[in-house]
Amino acid sequence: MTDTTARATGAPKVAHVRHGEHVDTIESVDAVFREQRKLSFTYGAIFFAVTLAIPASSVWWEAWYAKPIWGGFTANYLFVSLLYYVFLWVMAWTYSKQADKLDEKLAHMADEIAARELAEKEA
Amino acid sequence: MNTLAIALVVLLILFTIALSVFSRRFTRTTADFYLAGRKVGSFSNASAISGDYLSAASFLGVAGAVYASGLDGVWYAAGFAGGFMVVVLFIASALRRFGEYTVADFAYGRFGSDRIRLITVLAVLLTSLFYMAPQMFGAGTTWQVLVGKGILGMDPYTSGVVVVAAIMALYVGMGGMKGTTLNQIFQFWWLWFAMFMVVAFAFGNGFNYPKALADASKEPIVDTKAMTVAELTKPNPKTGKTPLEAAKTIMTPEEYAKVEEFVAAKSEGKIPVALPSKNKLHELRAMLFREPGHRYNKFDQFSMVLALVLGTAGLPHILNRYYTNPSGSAARRSTFWVLVFIGTFYIMAPIAGLAGLGVIKEHLASGGTIAAANVHGHLVKPDQVMPTLANILGGQALLGIVSAGAFAAMFSTIGGLLIAAASAVGHDVYEKYINPNASEAKRVLVGKVSVLFFATLALLIGLAIPKFGLDQAYPALIAMMVTWAFSIGASAFVPMLLTGIWWKGTTERGATAGIFVGLGSSIAFIFLNILQTLGKIPKEGAIGFLGSLTFPVLFTFPLALLTIIVVSKLDGQLPKNVDEIWMRIHGTAHERHERDLGLDKIGGLLGTKNH
Repeated sequence: MTDTTARATGAPKVAHVRHGEHVDTIESVDAVFREQRKLSFTYGAIFFAVTLAIPASSVWWEAWYAKPIWGGFTANYLFVSLLYYVFLWVMAWTYSKQADKLDEKLAHMADEIAARELAEKEA
Repeated sequence: MNTLAIALVVLLILFTIALSVFSRRFTRTTADFYLAGRKVGSFSNASAISGDYLSAASFLGVAGAVYASGLDGVWYAAGFAGGFMVVVLFIASALRRFGEYTVADFAYGRFGSDRIRLITVLAVLLTSLFYMAPQMFGAGTTWQVLVGKGILGMDPYTSGVVVVAAIMALYVGMGGMKGTTLNQIFQFWWLWFAMFMVVAFAFGNGFNYPKALADASKEPIVDTKAMTVAELTKPNPKTGKTPLEAAKTIMTPEEYAKVEEFVAAKSEGKIPVALPSKNKLHELRAMLFREPGHRYNKFDQFSMVLALVLGTAGLPHILNRYYTNPSGSAARRSTFWVLVFIGTFYIMAPIAGLAGLGVIKEHLASGGTIAAANVHGHLVKPDQVMPTLANILGGQALLGIVSAGAFAAMFSTIGGLLIAAASAVGHDVYEKYINPNASEAKRVLVGKVSVLFFATLALLIGLAIPKFGLDQAYPALIAMMVTWAFSIGASAFVPMLLTGIWWKGTTERGATAGIFVGLGSSIAFIFLNILQTLGKIPKEGAIGFLGSLTFPVLFTFPLALLTIIVVSKLDGQLPKNVDEIWMRIHGTAHERHERDLGLDKIGGLLGTKNH
């Protein structure tokens, strides 16, 4: 069964959540959150820049939407029908890997906090 | 009558019901009924999410949109897939870590008020109903093409709608989320296989992608429409030209003579005509298949992309699926696999649409016949391209595979929508407000009754669509209606989810106001567009401009987001336990603890009764 002994004091400096042996403090969560936010929004900015560049090019860049480059394919058609998916797969894969690393970092940070708490109790 | 094709569809239906009966043994608690016990692994969950997501709009609508509009149709596929990037980057893991049942639970847990839970429930129900409508319309039209006959005295369209609604009520009510998940996994792979088979047959028949695209782009796109005498002879206010005169410029003398005869006799009903297309983006250019502009003007090119990309993250039946992952990391992994699964599917769908253009034209030119209405070598209803192409390329066997795929697409999506709607009523309203002390058995029973209620509602919506003439007003109605649901989801939920997850300063009043503004404004824009298309409101003036916005997201999403930010700043009343909430969304102690206990293990979906 899941141990749900989570508690929070409401005071930001000492707020923490405990599940069994594992602890999240607001400081550690905030620190990793900031890195997570940076990662997500950086990837998000790239994603939206590329995605919105396609209709922008469709409107203003004639060579993009009108000039055939491979049989009947224009650069526009080729990107939207094939290459856009490769872009999505690479983005999603690399992002997931980096986000997993951040999770590990949070776990490591939390373990250190738990160890420190234990040492303080013993002292 | 397509005997083999019907037999394959009947087999699919029987298998679907059998899976639900099988999974019934494992649906004893509400967590089982709504969330499949939170033990669905990445691959299974990705397959189920893909099944949930790939609806009639993807299976029939994307190929149809490409067939009718070329590149602008291809955007449907790319946009549908791109939406999952927003999910993986901003929403997936946080939503799972929050660990609730529904989107309304998230809103309540994050902001702590009954008001926001109830307005979220309302938004979930409206989005689900908007999404259900095209699935039911797809059920009716697929039945028309496949069976061609009605049952129990009903016409073919009504028969399709009634049969699908009845089957859905039975299998979702019986199997709950577990049955639906098992079915969605199977249904996704079936419709992936069906799309693959059509494309494989096309390549086997000599289809060459770059060459076919070049051939399709030699002449401008041809528009097709079934029109009455009054419509044919009504001059365009701008050009002064009637559609009859326009049709004469591209139809053959033999084809045009039939239309002239129809008009001269002042016949009742409609006759299909071929019309020259117009480039809405680059007005001076001919509207070629490989170029943008057949459907979208400058504004809509951007708005449509945003509607699809943001809308995915606002679909309640997709968001609910993220709670069935065992961890936040698994939720991200699931989304990556979803992108791979649906990406490969969406690469194939435009190929089928393009292949259909050449194959059907050639088939008709060589004296062949097809069941679907056609004119000048083109289908009148582009949504019929998949079954028509399958029948020409692979006969009844391939038509059967495709028809079963179309029904699988409808079943899987309607299943997810029914679960989402039922959980909104059964879990978010009944369990929280009406009878919080209800037994597990009673809660599950309420979930099943809710499924039945929403299946009936879906049935009525499906029957109402032709009554209002929407099927005649919009050329590719299935894809269009799905985009409306995306617009509502993108405007009502996504701003609340994004700010709720990423900005601690979001307040309950801000989020509530944002949902209200996003929901209300997007629905208002959609109805204005419908009224304008049906000719009920003018095309000029301010109302005319607002009614012309096919995809309102470019306005409604920023409006809702801005509302949340401004109201939150003015309000400033954060929940007292905001830090605890924050750690629940972004912390991992709970997951690490579950991992220690081995509770993060997947399984249970196919038979573990004890978890």
